[in-house]
Amino acid sequence: MSLDLMRDVAKPILAGFGITAQRLKKKKVTISYPDERREQYQRTRWRHYLVRYESGLEKCIGCSLCAGACPARCIYVEADENTDQERYSPGERYAKRYEINMLRCIFCGYCQEACPTGAIVLRQNFELANYERKDFIYTKEMLLEKVPGEADECYNRVPTIR
Amino acid sequence: MAELKLLFEHAGNPAYQTIEGYIAKGGYQALDKALKMERQAIIDQIKASGLRGRGGAGFPTWIKWNGLPKEKTKRHHIVCNADEGEPGTFKDKQLMEETPFLLVEGMTLAGIACQGDAGYIYIRGEFIDAAKAMRKAIDEAYAAGFLGKNIRGSGIDFDLYIHLGAGSYECGEESALMSSIMGERGMPRLKFPHAPLPTIAGLWDEPTLINNVETFCCAPFIVNKGGEWYATMGASTKNSRGTKLFSVSGHVGKPGNYEIEFGTTLMELLEMSGGMTGGKLKACVPGGSSVPIMTAEMCDGAIIGYEEMMQAGSMVGSGGCMFLNDKTCIVQFIWRTAMFYAVESCGKCTPCREGTKWMLQILERIVKGNGQPGDKELLLDITSQIDGRSFCGLGDAAAWPVAGAIKVFPEEFDYYIANGKSIVGSPLPMVPA
Amino acid sequence: MHGHKTFDSSALPRALTERPRILVQPLESMAAVAETRLVTITINDVELQVPKGELIVESVKRLGLEIPIFCYHARMKPVGMCRMCLVEVGFKQPDGSVRKMPKPQAGCTLPADNNMVIYTDTEMVHRDRKGVLEFLLVNHPLDCPICDRGGECPLQNNTIFYGPSTTRFTELKRHLPKAYPLSQYVTLDLERCIQCGRCVRFTEEISGDAQLAFRFRGSNMQPSTFQLLDFDSKFSGNVIEICPVGALTSAKYRFRARPWDLETSPFNCLECSNHCSVWFDHRAGKFVRMNGRTNEAVNEEWTCDKGKFGQDWINDSNRSVKVMVRKGDAFAESTWSEAYDQIIAAFSGGHCAALIGGKQSNESLFLLGKLFRDGFKSNHLDSRWTRHLTDDALKLAPDTIASLEHKKTILILGTSLADELPMVFLRARKAWFKNGTQVLNVTAKANEADAFATQSLRYDEDHEADVVAGIRLALEGAADDAFALVARRAQVSAADFRAIAKELGPDTAIITSRSIFNVGDAGDVLDGLQAIARKTGCTFNCYAVNGNDAGAEALGLIGGQGSLNTREILEACVNYRVKALWLFDCNPFDLYPDHHLVNDALESVAFLVVQGSNSSSLTPYASVVLPSAAPAEQDGSYVNMEGRLQRGKGMLQAPGDAKPSWRIFSELLLRTAGGTPYFNPSEILQAIGQEVPSFAGVGDGELLKSAVAGGVTA
Repeated sequence: MSLDLMRDVAKPILAGFGITAQRLKKKKVTISYPDERREQYQRTRWRHYLVRYESGLEKCIGCSLCAGACPARCIYVEADENTDQERYSPGERYAKRYEINMLRCIFCGYCQEACPTGAIVLRQNFELANYERKDFIYTKEMLLEKVPGEADECYNRVPTIR
Repeated sequence: MAELKLLFEHAGNPAYQTIEGYIAKGGYQALDKALKMERQAIIDQIKASGLRGRGGAGFPTWIKWNGLPKEKTKRHHIVCNADEGEPGTFKDKQLMEETPFLLVEGMTLAGIACQGDAGYIYIRGEFIDAAKAMRKAIDEAYAAGFLGKNIRGSGIDFDLYIHLGAGSYECGEESALMSSIMGERGMPRLKFPHAPLPTIAGLWDEPTLINNVETFCCAPFIVNKGGEWYATMGASTKNSRGTKLFSVSGHVGKPGNYEIEFGTTLMELLEMSGGMTGGKLKACVPGGSSVPIMTAEMCDGAIIGYEEMMQAGSMVGSGGCMFLNDKTCIVQFIWRTAMFYAVESCGKCTPCREGTKWMLQILERIVKGNGQPGDKELLLDITSQIDGRSFCGLGDAAAWPVAGAIKVFPEEFDYYIANGKSIVGSPLPMVPA
Repeated sequence: MHGHKTFDSSALPRALTERPRILVQPLESMAAVAETRLVTITINDVELQVPKGELIVESVKRLGLEIPIFCYHARMKPVGMCRMCLVEVGFKQPDGSVRKMPKPQAGCTLPADNNMVIYTDTEMVHRDRKGVLEFLLVNHPLDCPICDRGGECPLQNNTIFYGPSTTRFTELKRHLPKAYPLSQYVTLDLERCIQCGRCVRFTEEISGDAQLAFRFRGSNMQPSTFQLLDFDSKFSGNVIEICPVGALTSAKYRFRARPWDLETSPFNCLECSNHCSVWFDHRAGKFVRMNGRTNEAVNEEWTCDKGKFGQDWINDSNRSVKVMVRKGDAFAESTWSEAYDQIIAAFSGGHCAALIGGKQSNESLFLLGKLFRDGFKSNHLDSRWTRHLTDDALKLAPDTIASLEHKKTILILGTSLADELPMVFLRARKAWFKNGTQVLNVTAKANEADAFATQSLRYDEDHEADVVAGIRLALEGAADDAFALVARRAQVSAADFRAIAKELGPDTAIITSRSIFNVGDAGDVLDGLQAIARKTGCTFNCYAVNGNDAGAEALGLIGGQGSLNTREILEACVNYRVKALWLFDCNPFDLYPDHHLVNDALESVAFLVVQGSNSSSLTPYASVVLPSAAPAEQDGSYVNMEGRLQRGKGMLQAPGDAKPSWRIFSELLLRTAGGTPYFNPSEILQAIGQEVPSFAGVGDGELLKSAVAGGVTA
């Protein structure tokens, strides 16, 4: 009777503890976010950035192709003409307004694919939570990288672990 | 065979350039004869002569003359195409300068046969001397009663006007020439089957006869001596009759205009003009720059005649015969030719406008030593996209020399592209800016 | 870049400053003219019958096929320049075999003929199309992303459907000035031009001003104005629409939006009385641009610059957006109900009147009339602003725009057609160009119609009455001395009068506009022209000029028959007989010639309502300012100068407090006369149909009954 009890109850319990005990020896998989962060895959598509040329000029020419390609219709572009006095991008045209409604965005990356100048890129920064709905409308000032190349570095500047 | 001087019998004789001298040498006999003939009888004589258009296409002349309406409801116009711009051709210039009355009489004959009201001689803008000679001849003919109201008391009126072009190769195309006369931009107009033939609706939508200078100059002889007599010349060929003027140039001893009977061989023409200088015969462009180029082997035994030359791989064209010796670089020659067509394209249709420029850009790259593998095939492809696709024949004319040269001298192109320099070692010629 | 002319113009003779007058003569053998006889042709092995002479590019459409085109335009003579439409052509031989032509033929210039065999889908045709597109693209810049045409560009579309996927062109592309301002409206990008000649042909064949031409030749060929003058054609906007690439773009639309950003709706332009059918493009609630919409009866597919580029006021910052009420000396924002209370207090009692202008819908006008008659017990409304006032309304427009095309003779009297009635001008020119109509242009000043008029007659300004009298004398066969007085006053010789009179007959249309009622002795002009029409049997048209004037007249918003007309209303204001005046979308200072009277009236009247969509200089006179919606912001129907009723849909949101006018009147009507209010314009249109005889049973695009029944009135 008691032997049966041993076999049916105690043995499985001990086996379960055994698995737990074995796990203790292994490296843990959780990290203490946000103190630690995981490195993202190279092709992760999260937050959009508008990038600049080395010279500091914007790559975006305000062509609206991203808006045309967007399946969620969450991009709004208004273009204007560069002048020699006030130049934003190399050619004739630049984006005066560039807005993305992040609540609508489905992060498909079609905008990046459609962009003829490689101006809009989706990078690894996934921390997009916010408190107000209106704060999810990302304006051109928010999207535009401050210095050339920032978008590539955007996530790597926070401490990451492998 | 030797030279056979018919049109040029009195060329160079200053007396022949006056109306008295012209009449003394048998001039205006044809006109007097024609005034007594039925209109259709004149056209029949032209038909019997087997005369074909001397401007390049070789279209039977009598069909045009016969094509104007017999029942006259509108004005009829006779137009002479004297816009001789084909590189290598300079026969009309000499005809107008030295035998102007032949042209005046020839056009008057056409005016009688086709019930023409007025004739227009469209002279290339650069031919100032020719225009002056024609002006003088026309004035003399008016004074002597061979032009104007009631010619020779026959009751027939015929006026002759000179229209000077403004230096466009395109205006040598007959419909562009008509546009130019009407004061429009010198661009070709719609042609059959897209629009009626000029013999039905030409200048100002009225029946119009257009012929080359040389064609008109043949008419007096045909009317005077009969079509059958004219047809005895060149009888050895399939379908080419009479004599033809050839403007021989290039590496020959005595460049100039030579009048020969159809059936003469190309080599005989070369001999007449003093043979090759500076080297052996390498290539020949027999009929103006737009006809396909011939190698020395192809020239050998080639007989001059419309069909015969086609058989030999080229065309009689307008008779601008260029002989090139073996020091000539064909690639550079074609580059220079392509430059002409790129500059002279009127710009109306896409294939000619863009194609000629592109061909020139590629050839320019090749002759400057930057040719790339595949350029030869690309050039051939471009020519096939122009040939037959352009609005008028001048697109074809721009494509033929390039395509022809690549076909018969492929190794020259290959060498130039591969080595960046000419196979014969000739340096890049100077080109006027 | 913009605003600077960078062309090298040194090659041009600068001494020449006058624009050369170049006229393309119409030729009899226009390939586009199709006969009625049918011929049998075969297209891709399908046999069909088409009218002889029909162009193959049109014939293939009968089978639902399409031949790609660039230079071909159905309303212009075919030229066959671009070679995009190459097809293989053969002829059926008696033995049933097909003899193919050695070269491909341009489908846009080839007239159909018996036994013709067409192939549009062979390997050769595909190769040729690819070849032509490759040629067109070698020098075409790949700046599609910033090109205003990108997304609606025939070159893009044809390249995707028929073109090569890559280029073999490795040389330098042609570089030419970009964004060169041809005029204040039209921007030219020479790099993008594919030299199809559509713009050049438009100015030669349609607008007739021949201001564009090609310069240079070969690959350097470029469209341009003569001597690089401004492209100041009154129809210049059309070349933007017909350009198959982005070479000619609108300076006003430049970089404003991409085609996929736009919403578009059918609309009728109300800048003049022609009411052209247009596409009204808007984005995010703002008007962006206007393009022509095909309507064979009115504008075919063209627009005039005045309409196409004259719509900016909709987006204007001075739009009236607040209800304003005067409180003592101050003028304060208020509410609709407060304004209504004041208005009802001031207008009740019948000593009130309304003056009407501009672009208001039939529905608004009808309710305004109803409000005054039923609510305010007054009948003093007038929509006419000319010095001489007539009540003949649409009876003075027997000819529709389209019917002018087939007149033998058109006499234009005292109006610059291209300015006042642009579509009538284009039709008159088309009549001359296509059908050989002779046009007689009798105006005080030279104008565009002179270019094609068989006779142009100039007279001393303001002497239209004498000119008409002179023509009448000539018709009566008067002797030379009878002309002495009119000839001296109008500075026209008797012979000139006779030359004009000689051409008038039953197949003649006399065209003039309402603005002729502003000249001295306008009554005599009107009577004289009607007498001429009766004598010769020709038709006499005196077309309305502004917005929906014809609609207002058809609805009876004209004085007379016991009610005061415009002048009488203004005078009544001055002597306090009218105590409350409603200005409905009009500025009397712009419209009425007598400014002193207007000023006195507006200063004297006790209560002034200024209602309109834009705030104006009238605000200082106003007691109440009511903001109302623009035509594009409300549903409504409009009547053009030939009596054609056309309905428009509201597309935009009216700014601020602005309301559709009909709603304002409906609300006031409810507060004064009571009854069931009208809730939408369709209901009102129904009521119009029941209450106004000429509107009964008239549908969209149809002519009003008064116009159809119209004719010469004694």
